[in-house]
Amino acid sequence: MWDAITSIVPLALTYTAPLLVIAIGGLFSERSGVVNIGLEGLMGIGAFTSAFMISTTYGSLGDVAIWLGLAAAALSGGVFSLLHAFASVTMKADQVVSGTAVNILSSAITVYLARSLTGSANIQIIKGLIRFNVPGLSAIPVMGPLFFQNANIAIFIVLLIVLISWYVLYRLPFGLRLRACGENPHAADSMGVNVIKMRYAGVFISGILAGLGGGFVITTYSGEFSPLVYSGLGFLALAALIFGKWNPWGVLGAALFFGFAKTVADMSRLFEALKTMPNILFNTFPYVATIVALVLFSKNAAGPRAAGEPYDVGKR
Amino acid sequence: MKKIFTSVLLVLVMVISVVAAGCSSKESSSQKDSKETSPAKESVKVGMVTDSGTIDDKSFNQGTWEGILKYKNEKKTIEEKYLQPSGEQHTDYVNAVNDLVDSGYKIIVTPGFKFETAINEAASNHKDTTFILIDGMTHKGDFKFVKHDNVVSVFFKENESAFLAGVAAALSTNTGKLGFIGGMEIPPVQRFGWGYQAGVKYANEKFGTKAEIVDYLYQGSFNDTAAGQTLAAGMYNKGVDIIFHAAGSVGIGVFNEAKQRAEKGQKVYVIGVDVDQFETGKISSGKSVTLTSAMKRIDVAAYDYIDAKLKGKFPGGEIITLSLAENGVGLPENNPNLSEDTIKKIAEVKKEILEKKITVPSTKEELAAFKK
Repeated sequence: MWDAITSIVPLALTYTAPLLVIAIGGLFSERSGVVNIGLEGLMGIGAFTSAFMISTTYGSLGDVAIWLGLAAAALSGGVFSLLHAFASVTMKADQVVSGTAVNILSSAITVYLARSLTGSANIQIIKGLIRFNVPGLSAIPVMGPLFFQNANIAIFIVLLIVLISWYVLYRLPFGLRLRACGENPHAADSMGVNVIKMRYAGVFISGILAGLGGGFVITTYSGEFSPLVYSGLGFLALAALIFGKWNPWGVLGAALFFGFAKTVADMSRLFEALKTMPNILFNTFPYVATIVALVLFSKNAAGPRAAGEPYDVGKR
Repeated sequence: MKKIFTSVLLVLVMVISVVAAGCSSKESSSQKDSKETSPAKESVKVGMVTDSGTIDDKSFNQGTWEGILKYKNEKKTIEEKYLQPSGEQHTDYVNAVNDLVDSGYKIIVTPGFKFETAINEAASNHKDTTFILIDGMTHKGDFKFVKHDNVVSVFFKENESAFLAGVAAALSTNTGKLGFIGGMEIPPVQRFGWGYQAGVKYANEKFGTKAEIVDYLYQGSFNDTAAGQTLAAGMYNKGVDIIFHAAGSVGIGVFNEAKQRAEKGQKVYVIGVDVDQFETGKISSGKSVTLTSAMKRIDVAAYDYIDAKLKGKFPGGEIITLSLAENGVGLPENNPNLSEDTIKKIAEVKKEILEKKITVPSTKEELAAFKK
């Protein structure tokens, strides 16, 4: 049993990393009052950019290329998300429609670009983020093998992002203003907050984080960009966002929950202790649990009140 | 304001369409030129419809397409085009085939068992068109073969290439533990698995190796890369050092896990499938985690039957199974990760199969008998 646990935990954490960072991206956007269905597409843009960047520069830059690729992924996600911001904030288009447009555009444009730039829709990277033993900490009994041996740096980066996000959203004036724009933009506006600007900021940050999530997909478990990158991780992140009640710690819990459920489901066939459990149980578990949780808690789990509504100064 | 905007838009559309029309007419005229200049007789149009996945999937579709391109580049007597159907249902495939037929394509190549019913319908509707159905046979949905004189159904003896891969794995393992990850549990994948089991067993008997397949499972899809990595990690943790995957993109996850470990100096390997996956397994030091690959020469099949049709020797209505003997399956020519000795022994085994001293099991029952 211990064998199984030490195998599962590091992998589950690695799988959680991209999911969590994308969900945190969604958090920023929705907290500012813009529903972001386009997370999947932004993730795909990031995945494509990082794969392309790493595969073209690895030969000359070595491991630096991986970090460069992640930075490029974040940036490209941010830039691409401005399309969504322009349509839904400036042009006051329906946010769900423009988010969907982002998804469709992204999955088409990345494959097109991949093909015209490299000749193939699949871009493979030679090396991603390699798991390592954290010096010192990995020697701690119990905790060491679970969290610090064979650990992927991605999860530590993402946890840091969660911490920073919480601090920004709940301890800085910027966060208060951002949340105000998602709850009651008219009140925020009357207090001198530039709603348009705040919403642009929210969407842009969500693009950066979702793009980074795409970069992590490539550098942790997928290893290549292909049309299969669009397999619904962005939507799972949205589910984690709702399940986590639009709160960084809740989102962290929800993402870990999904990550573990998925990894245990995959791994269940390999270990005697888990073999007896029916696989369908694990595979459907996270989704069933989400529905149940939503039914039970939806009363007091309402999202940001103004999310989904374009801001109209004249409307009261 | 609005009016101005609309009119500008209209003008733009018109300009673009004129330019586009100009381009296309140029293209067609240049094609005509090339036809006129080439002394060969009029080229035959060869079309392909892709299976799930894209044309550059490094697997089935790409293999087929490469076979067609190779034929074109060598003989210059065909004109090629592929269509990606709008979906993966029977009607999507039929529509794609109809589109090709309507635009004058005389030979249509389709890779994958999903085309079976669609080609069955298309073949009776278009008697003048020739179909090459790779990895499937025409039937009405009940898996009872329906004969069409304009269709050749091509199968592969996956079990034979997997048998050789199994021998290679048994001879190369250090821990004595081997793994197998299949995609969906469908006949071609199963044959890979059975052949692999038989190969390991044979090597144990003949060469005295002590290899055992400790994990043998089907992931259930061809596209869950994350699950592939998780499964591979679990197996490697248990001491398995060679995993044979027959699982499409699930296998990409397997490769990813093996590469992670190889970067840190661990000696783990993957056996690739369908095509030579040596490049897929490359790590930063330039080495590869690909031990060898159990190949299925889809490109050879496409090439050979286009050739047969154009030379008037098309085996219409037949089901053909390509094996080691026809070079339709097998291991790659170069296997840098196999030792000299292993390569020699594999050649021996291959010879025995070709001389029919070994019959590689191709069904579950035959495998059970083989194992006794």
